[in-house]
Amino acid sequence: MLKDVTFGQYFPGNSLLHKADARFKVLILIEYIVIVLLANSAYAVGLGLLLTAFLMVFSGVKIRLLLKSVKPLIFVLVFTCLINLFLTRGSGAPLVDWSFIKIYKEGVRNAIAMLIRLLSLVLGTSVLISFTTSPLELTDALESLLSPLKKIKVPVHEFAMMMSIALRFIPTLIEETNKIISAQKARCADFDSGNIFKKLKAMVPILIPLFVSAVRRAEELADAMECRCYHGGKGRTKLNVMHAKLRDYIFLLAVTAIIAGVVVLNRYDASFIKNLIKDLVF
Amino acid sequence: MAFIEARGVEFAYSPEEPLVIDGIDVKIEKGSYVAILGHNGCGKSTLAKLLCGIVAPTEGQILVDGINTCDGEQEFELRKKCGMVFQNPDNQLVASVVEEDVAFAPENLGLPREEIRKRVDSALATVDMSEYAKHTTHKLSGGQKQRIAIAGILAMQPECIIFDEATAMLDPTGRKEIAAAMKRLNKELGITVVTITHYMGEAIEADRIIVMNQGKIIADGTPAEIFSKVEQLKEVSLAVPQVTELLYMLECDGYQMPRGILHAMDAAEVLTQKLKK
Repeated sequence: MLKDVTFGQYFPGNSLLHKADARFKVLILIEYIVIVLLANSAYAVGLGLLLTAFLMVFSGVKIRLLLKSVKPLIFVLVFTCLINLFLTRGSGAPLVDWSFIKIYKEGVRNAIAMLIRLLSLVLGTSVLISFTTSPLELTDALESLLSPLKKIKVPVHEFAMMMSIALRFIPTLIEETNKIISAQKARCADFDSGNIFKKLKAMVPILIPLFVSAVRRAEELADAMECRCYHGGKGRTKLNVMHAKLRDYIFLLAVTAIIAGVVVLNRYDASFIKNLIKDLVF
Repeated sequence: MAFIEARGVEFAYSPEEPLVIDGIDVKIEKGSYVAILGHNGCGKSTLAKLLCGIVAPTEGQILVDGINTCDGEQEFELRKKCGMVFQNPDNQLVASVVEEDVAFAPENLGLPREEIRKRVDSALATVDMSEYAKHTTHKLSGGQKQRIAIAGILAMQPECIIFDEATAMLDPTGRKEIAAAMKRLNKELGITVVTITHYMGEAIEADRIIVMNQGKIIADGTPAEIFSKVEQLKEVSLAVPQVTELLYMLECDGYQMPRGILHAMDAAEVLTQKLKK
């Protein structure tokens, strides 16, 4: 059941996105999120989708894997869509009016917009960060981007280390969870029947051993790190030093330009552009 | 002077609990290959942690190349001299990518980048994992993960590596890989190897075996010497290698058999000679 979780897994590769500087990828991700949340008109959303498609192609990650990363979120996606569809009240006459169900044009629009937004966010984050950036690269990037905060005594290195270790242990803990589930199933544990509360209660015998073993793992890891001379971020050097290349700057500038594009496109909806084209042509 | 020297070491996890290590005096020479044997709970893992200074003895002292393991000032010097490979390969890999994990220790030491690169490459070559440098760690087999863990320690260029039941969680293939790696480290690179194990097959590869029971050393000598004392080992519920056991059983049945035979081929020779007579 947990085999499908690909979120937070790094797939080594040699694509353009793999080679891009991780610091720039983080900045671009922020810009990307801004684009997705800002895009309002059909053209702006279209531009956003185009960017998403480009990112997906440049990542070199197989479509099948990308779809897999969306799969666990289907419930959330459908749920938000339905909420938007049924609960949005529009100004015009409802498209569907059947007993208590009223669907308005705005509802349909919101539902589609929400679906696109959520999907873009998931795909964009996976493609930009988790699939194409090794956790240590990401940590280094965050550490270097946030390093000004060290001046006000924020433990940036420690946070970065914690994060990279958390990411490193995701697959290990997933494997462990599967083992525990099998072990409990072998002893006739029932995870699939009953209402939601019963199902939640059935999770307890999975979570407790998982938690205990995680703490034990942490202890051993701490010993192992100490044995390898870990003593915080002071005086630490790096094997892979990040070098920003010209193409990273171009990449960042291009995405910034798209933000501007989205802002402009948001102001003019479809009819305006039609008129504009008409004016230009005739 | 011995490389590692323990003098009257006692250790308990808390004052109320019984002593886990109860008065140990031991010297381990530089470049030697030592196996520490003992059944579960005899304190052998604790001894390993004491030897590389993860825990400090409650009584007595341990010197590693002249450095007292309790000396906080020289903690780094100690760690650089004496590395440790743990039992569970998953719990000692810090990074998701092989070469980044191997680089962890030299990065902590603050070495320049070129030096880190050199050390990572040579450490990976030593454990025969160079082609996996860019792989993700969680997809490797147990034996491969453990070899990465060894490389991670080798990158510190230690003089001594302690293996704390490093093969216990591996399948037979993985166990063979690690045993071969240990032998190579000792014979080719001259690194002092201390391996803590309860597999007899691994213990007989060592130059010296130390047998522990209830926090004490009860026997110390070459494999041939140790496994001659079959009765004593059985008393502390330790097995002997299969061929040694076979010869011992024949001896119990009244045949004259030499003691301290460890390898199958040697035993075969002894038996054929007996049969020819």
